[in-house]
Amino acid sequence: MLKKNKKIIIFFGITCLQAFIVISPDWLKINGITPCWPVILLLPFSLNNPPWKAAIASILLGIFVDSFTISDISYIPSLFILSLVWSNYGLHNKRIELFLNIGLMAIFGTALVGFSMWVQKIIIYSFLRNNWFHSWSIYVLMSEVIITGLVAPLFSSWLLITYKKN
Amino acid sequence: MIKARGKIGFHSLLKSRFWVISFLGALLFVIRWTKGAGYLDLYSVFLKPFLPGTAQREWIKEGENVERNIRLKLLEEDNNRLRKALFLQEFNSDQRISAAVISRSPRNWWQQLEINKGSKDGVMKSQTVIGPGGLIGLVDSTTPLTARVRLLTDPGHQLGAWVDRTRSHGILTGMGTNRPKLIFLNKNTLAQVGDAVTTSPASTLLPPNLTIGIIQFVDEKALPSPYAIVQLSASPEAIDWVQIIKNNAQKE
Repeated sequence: MLKKNKKIIIFFGITCLQAFIVISPDWLKINGITPCWPVILLLPFSLNNPPWKAAIASILLGIFVDSFTISDISYIPSLFILSLVWSNYGLHNKRIELFLNIGLMAIFGTALVGFSMWVQKIIIYSFLRNNWFHSWSIYVLMSEVIITGLVAPLFSSWLLITYKKN
Repeated sequence: MIKARGKIGFHSLLKSRFWVISFLGALLFVIRWTKGAGYLDLYSVFLKPFLPGTAQREWIKEGENVERNIRLKLLEEDNNRLRKALFLQEFNSDQRISAAVISRSPRNWWQQLEINKGSKDGVMKSQTVIGPGGLIGLVDSTTPLTARVRLLTDPGHQLGAWVDRTRSHGILTGMGTNRPKLIFLNKNTLAQVGDAVTTSPASTLLPPNLTIGIIQFVDEKALPSPYAIVQLSASPEAIDWVQIIKNNAQKE
């Protein structure tokens, strides 16, 4: 059983995440926006591991996800902060795998990732004088938060329970 | 005498021949008055089954399309010959690579497409990507079997464009929204809503005269330069197949 759970985690982590990022399936989108997959995967891992492990995982995950995008903006800063926060929170709260709790943490995590992207955009594309605020980002942020909030309780809580069992 | 005349007139009215003649006279008058409209309408109704039917109409249309295609090809060849003479970049339709869209995120933090043709098929960085409707973006990076396309709507994506009617140049800048902004280089552009935006015919980086979109809004008084909001004619959200245009300089 233990071995089987481990296999499920490895399969989901290595295969499904990559597939979801690359394919970005239309049936898992709200207004053309996909869930924040790095948050969904990092959340259970951070809750169940010490900060240094979670921080390293966040950096590696950030590098991996950044390689699939064209912009200069990066996931790494926000994922790094989230990994530290979540790992500290997870160590002291043992009953964290509650369904809605996970969803709420994913929502806040996605909001932070989105906000970080937004700030990076404002800094990097400051030459777009008439649109320095990037108002479109609000739309992306809101949609991403909603869809991640819906998906995270399913995937993240299942992953966390599997981690805990291991 | 007066009574007799009255009788004669009354009797003539009772005769059927009188009514027939009157009717024919009235009919002739109506035909003359309407200039034979009734006859012509009746003739057209009778003729309708013998006129070119749907099949014949299609044949005629097909013939017209063939003729137009031949003319278009001749004009393109002529255009290329003239462009060569002027040392301008050529736009050769033979050098196109068709590719399928395998992944898309046109509304996310970055606007990009993944297509199923890469460096192995001759796709190179900065090549132009068109879809049904016109230009959609440029190749950002390639792998041996795939390529990543940066859409025109991506923030910070800039390329030269021009409004053909007013012959004014501008820089088309992606804003992250569905509608990029055309920042004009000159004041008094005289651009209007509904003007077509294309790539510049004198462009050395992009194929010339590619349709980009239609102007939806113009702010002539904007500072430091006037700008227009462009509605793209090709929608990346609905496109499944694209074409990559090879430049002549990139010929193998």
